[in-house]
Amino acid sequence: MNFGFTGDQLALGATVRDVLRAHCPPSELRTERRPAWKQLAGLGFFGLLLPADSGGLGLSPADVLPALEETGRACLPGPVVETAVLAPYLVASLPGLASGTVCVSVLPPGQAYAADADLADLLVVARAGGWHLVRKESVRLAPRPGVDPCRPLFEVDFEVSEELAGSVESALLAVTVATAAQLIGVARELLAVTVAYARARTQFGAAIGSFQAVKHRLADVAVAVEFAAPLVHRAALSAGGPAGAPRPSAERDVSAAKAAAGEAAGLAARAALQVHGAIGYTEELDLRFWLARAWSLSAAYGTAAAHRARLRTAVLGGGPGRYP
Amino acid sequence: MDLDFSPAERDFRAEVRDWLRAHVPRPLPPMDTAEGFAAHRAWEALLAGARLSVVSWPERYGGRGASLIDWLIFEEEYWAAGAPARVTQNGIFLLGPSLMEFGTPEQRDRWLPRMARGDDVWAQAWSEPEAGSDLAALTSRAEPAPGGRRLYGHKTWSSRAAHATHGFGLFRTFGTRHHGLTYVMFPMDDVVVRPLAQLDGLPGFAELHFDGVFAPESMVLGEPGDGWRIAMATTSSERGLTLRSPGRFLATADRLVALARDADPALADRAARCWIDAEAYRLHTYATARRLMAGEQAGPRASMGKVFWSELDLRMHALAMDLLGDRAGDTAWLDGFLFALAGPVYAGTNEIQRTIIAERVLGLPRAGVRR
Repeated sequence: MNFGFTGDQLALGATVRDVLRAHCPPSELRTERRPAWKQLAGLGFFGLLLPADSGGLGLSPADVLPALEETGRACLPGPVVETAVLAPYLVASLPGLASGTVCVSVLPPGQAYAADADLADLLVVARAGGWHLVRKESVRLAPRPGVDPCRPLFEVDFEVSEELAGSVESALLAVTVATAAQLIGVARELLAVTVAYARARTQFGAAIGSFQAVKHRLADVAVAVEFAAPLVHRAALSAGGPAGAPRPSAERDVSAAKAAAGEAAGLAARAALQVHGAIGYTEELDLRFWLARAWSLSAAYGTAAAHRARLRTAVLGGGPGRYP
Repeated sequence: MDLDFSPAERDFRAEVRDWLRAHVPRPLPPMDTAEGFAAHRAWEALLAGARLSVVSWPERYGGRGASLIDWLIFEEEYWAAGAPARVTQNGIFLLGPSLMEFGTPEQRDRWLPRMARGDDVWAQAWSEPEAGSDLAALTSRAEPAPGGRRLYGHKTWSSRAAHATHGFGLFRTFGTRHHGLTYVMFPMDDVVVRPLAQLDGLPGFAELHFDGVFAPESMVLGEPGDGWRIAMATTSSERGLTLRSPGRFLATADRLVALARDADPALADRAARCWIDAEAYRLHTYATARRLMAGEQAGPRASMGKVFWSELDLRMHALAMDLLGDRAGDTAWLDGFLFALAGPVYAGTNEIQRTIIAERVLGLPRAGVRR
């Protein structure tokens, strides 16, 4: 029992953080669809989970978790987890994947629309119980309204596709954990930005962050994030890498993580908006991007309620117990 | 870095599990009755005989020198087995760690082994009628006397005091507020104890009146006047790992999910949320244990744990009440609910904890600071 991140895992996260600070500032979110992708590709980010014979590093989801959290913290747009996490499980041999020159979008089961599908060179589509690989040139997309301006949604239609053989369960587990990690990053940034605002904004002659009502609300956010994060870490350990198999508890652990991370980010968004007041309700303030990301990722790959229902089935169904 | 238990940790878990399976008694009478108090003390002696009452303590005091991880494993098995609540808790989890850190070798040798066996059962005496959340406002005094101290004043909400053999608390020797307080242990013999019935009707705490109760110098912990610092170390462990390990909440959550098996979806969803939160507390605690074992301090982040577990415990028992309706009293859930209601109040109210989190973890300004 030695539950924590290694120095290497944290260092990778710090490197990604530095790159995103430099190349994905909030101003880029208003103009660019994929800011910092080129720089991340230069770091080898899109090959982290790929096996060596596909030009990757063969790392596991737990190895890249702090880095994925940073992509959430920066509100990095584009199909990040689909390309960097899901694709290595399903289409590792896709040319250009490791170098970040292609990207992948997903329409998961239970969802109506695919995010960022217009950017994708390849779509992975769940339909009628089966899985399909659809190339860019075979797909017809119709934009649909969504909550997140940096994560546009599309209705997907196609006639020509390639059946995807083999199990997609590991890939879905991994991309769900990765999304949960992004939600933790989004929540941490929402909290940090809101704390900074509460320290700076004065009313009644005092910083609003000195008022107990504001303090306690933000303390609740801190608690929610603090306790959601280890669930995500454990889920990443359970999900296993592209070369391995998920642990027996993986489905339960991933559902626990996604539910808790989504709720924490939702709470952070709600508190951020309330503490900012009217300025937080504007299109002009950068906060809106993080609010929208909290909402859009909470719904992606299963809502909190859907994951709790899955967890309950797993726990009551005689799955692996809590204790060895 | 992983969540896998080592072979030694697995062996330890198996030993604990087997021993508990063979020895855990049928539910004992409530510990705040005379009969129940005696039964719980006898259980503590049995645990101590197997060197399981304080596994993380050094061997010379009755423990096994086990790691924090082993202690967490013990707690998981203990609560999963439905073993009795710990009547020695104030001693082994609050005073014990302070003695270990601040006591003289003589004090440790004298008190810790007896504490580990339940020979002495300790009550805590901190709050006063006018010093609750604002503990530093306390006015009880420890006045110098030949060979020791004489205690004067009025303490209240003293857990276990109705039946305890000894107490420990903070008493003013000089100064004001946090300065000049002395940490004193005392025998209960000459203390006037007025038991207070709690919501369950049993005297789980008491008022203590001191009118010159004598405590020998050997029962002063640390330097006279240094009591605040010592007490804060105790509250830090109380809020941190030792008072409420995850094991008890994991066991409750598992029973709750089973209780909600056929419940309507809204109630079942609440049960699933509790299961997740109990697991979150467990994982967070494993991560914290790793940091503490590496020499880090719990610090103000311990307040986050206190808020989290106390509200989780209450949420779980409130859900059980909703699931059971008027049948709740036929089960242990009713007593559990009443006990859980105290969680957000004791060991520093959750309002105090949230303020600590906001100011000392998040860095928000203290109230009244003008810009």
